[in-house]
Amino acid sequence: MTKAPIIQAQKLTKVYSSGKIEVTALKDVDLAVGKGTFIGVAGSSGSGKSTLMNLLGGLDSPTSGSIEFEGELISRKDKNELARYRRHDVGMIFQSFNLIPFFSAVENVSLPLLFAGVSKKERREQASVFLDRVGLSSRKEHRPSELSGGEQQRVAIARALVNSPKIILADEPTGNLDSQTSSEIVGLLATINREQGLTVIMVSHEEALLKEHCDEIIRLFDGEVKVKEQLK
Amino acid sequence: MKLIDYVDLSFSNLWKRKLRTFLTIFGVIIGIGALVAMVSFGKGMQKNVSDQFENLELFNYITVFSESFNPLGFGGRSPRGQRQRGRSRDSQEEVKGSEPKPLDDEVIAALRSIKGVESVFPDIRFPAEVRANEEQVFSLIQVLPAEFAQSTLMSLRAGKAYVSDEEDSLIISDSLLRRIGLKDLDTAIGQKVRISTLILDFSNFNPMNLASMIQGENLPIAKEDYEFTIVGITGRMGFGSPTPLRSDVFIPRGTSERMKKLPFTNMWDFFRRTEQNLGYSVVNIKVESPAFVNAVKTKVQEMGYRTFALIDQFEEIRTGFLFMDMILAAVGMIAIVVASLGIMNTMVMSILERYSEIGIMKAVGAGDGDIKKIFFFESSVIGFFGGVFGLALGWVVSGLINRIINYFLAKQGVPFIDYFNFPWWLCLGAVLFAVVVSLVSGIYPAVRAARVDPVVALRHD
Ligand SMILES: Nc1ncnc2c1ncn2[C@@H]1O[C@H](COP(=O)(O)OP(=O)(O)O)[C@@H](O)[C@H]1O
Ligand SMILES: [Mg+2]
Repeated sequence: MTKAPIIQAQKLTKVYSSGKIEVTALKDVDLAVGKGTFIGVAGSSGSGKSTLMNLLGGLDSPTSGSIEFEGELISRKDKNELARYRRHDVGMIFQSFNLIPFFSAVENVSLPLLFAGVSKKERREQASVFLDRVGLSSRKEHRPSELSGGEQQRVAIARALVNSPKIILADEPTGNLDSQTSSEIVGLLATINREQGLTVIMVSHEEALLKEHCDEIIRLFDGEVKVKEQLK
Repeated sequence: MKLIDYVDLSFSNLWKRKLRTFLTIFGVIIGIGALVAMVSFGKGMQKNVSDQFENLELFNYITVFSESFNPLGFGGRSPRGQRQRGRSRDSQEEVKGSEPKPLDDEVIAALRSIKGVESVFPDIRFPAEVRANEEQVFSLIQVLPAEFAQSTLMSLRAGKAYVSDEEDSLIISDSLLRRIGLKDLDTAIGQKVRISTLILDFSNFNPMNLASMIQGENLPIAKEDYEFTIVGITGRMGFGSPTPLRSDVFIPRGTSERMKKLPFTNMWDFFRRTEQNLGYSVVNIKVESPAFVNAVKTKVQEMGYRTFALIDQFEEIRTGFLFMDMILAAVGMIAIVVASLGIMNTMVMSILERYSEIGIMKAVGAGDGDIKKIFFFESSVIGFFGGVFGLALGWVVSGLINRIINYFLAKQGVPFIDYFNFPWWLCLGAVLFAVVVSLVSGIYPAVRAARVDPVVALRHD
């Protein structure tokens, strides 16, 4: 590990309790992600990948253990501080795109800027720039329902980038896409990682894509990190 | 997030669900409309009554009663009551309070000299038969000096008031006119009317018949005829006429003095007056302005008479109106509560529908406060439009009702009155209230929306 870690997790544990049943989704996960690296997360369904991403993204709080982002303890932050963290430091991408169906591509991309208090005109301008960057110049006014899966995921990527975050968290971004589109999307994330030095953590089942682009692959089994593969 | 963004976002969110938004707003419109109509009706009634009182200068009048006369059981301060209370404490009080002088012309002169008193006239009424053509009606004739006949007190529907106190002219109410067979107001002016007064005729008086006299038989009474010309016709008062005018026929003072008559209005007066002249039963005082009422009243009470001033009664009327307002508002509030439940329902539904949208917003950096405000803005937009259009609806509907009521009352000769009143505070208050109600209804949905767990909202598997 040559690069200084941008995000670090220690003994990260998450227990979901619904009623009397307790599910340990993550157990004592230790993690250190170097700035500018492309990390892959693999594991079978239910192994805790999404849970890990949500904790790293500040959408959820761990049951125990700690997360440090650029030396700051994320796991200690209150709700408002977590919202601020998500707003300024993190860009998230999901398997099901999670676009707002009533909003056009530009409106969806400018959503994070809305909560950052950017004016409407500037929001549109910036959103437009990022849509150009993901290759959707001609689809700006389309609604999600008028776009293909790959195009929708590009909109989501533009949305994740628009706030100039320091880390991108992509939870199975290719899970709903065909293999051709999948490699295009992962290729886009890899390009962003390479050209802008943006740290990317991506969950995926597609070994070939992981092996092709990732610096390191973390394999989860029943909420525990069993293997860390250093590739580059 | 900027203010304009909240407005923008709430409008676009509401616009997405046009039908439901419209229905919810419509609920608020009806609620606010009902409340506004109810309150404006209450205010309208109150304004009519107090305006009428003020226009007629009714607050400028004090009625003075002689010691024993209390036909309507008016409260006032009773000198006798005081004396009785005084007696139980201190027997010397009794000496001080001597029987007051009868209300005669001397007393009237004294009353007239009190500071603030504009004029004084005795309330003289006597029974008589009024006849025109064939119809003949028994009525009370009131003696009203020309100066009062010409004042704002007397509202005429046709003709003019008599100008001198010596004319053989009279003013008659339209209802009595109808009863004596004169239906047309305009041709009635100038018509001759015969008034037959009752006079004592002792030619066949027998004191042994006292018992049957009390029952109104074998009275030692005869008639005397006088001819008058109708010069003016009064309208009926809209509100029970609590004025010093308590009659259907008014004649000038001087003319009245020249008539032979029995100036009694009840049997008790009749017997009293045959024993000794105790003066007038009732005297009306007009003060220069309502500000003098209390001072004059106190003076009159010190002279040993009981008084009644409408301005005292008006406080009670006001309390009555407050009560009426509360009942009307309560009816309106039911509609508001229903509307408020409608808003709550809509907003809660909206949360369920927008569950993942809320999750998305949180994932891209929305704080709980942002989500709360988005929902609050939507509720208040519903409230604002509901309030504005509800006010408009209340205004339009009450305007229509007003026209309909007036249309039917006009047929009965009642002049046009605004039964509804829209003071500025009601208009502003209605809109503000609608917004406040919708904000309150929005609290629970907003808090619930803010509490949505993004992890749960975004999980699809
Ligand atoms: N909100 C939740 N409440 C209860 N159990 C949950 C919740 N979220 C996830 N889990 C459980 O935690 C485990 C890990 O889930 P997840 O992180 O979604 O796995 P993956 O993304 O690897 O498929 C699963 O057993 C899942 O059922
Ligand atoms: Mg998952």
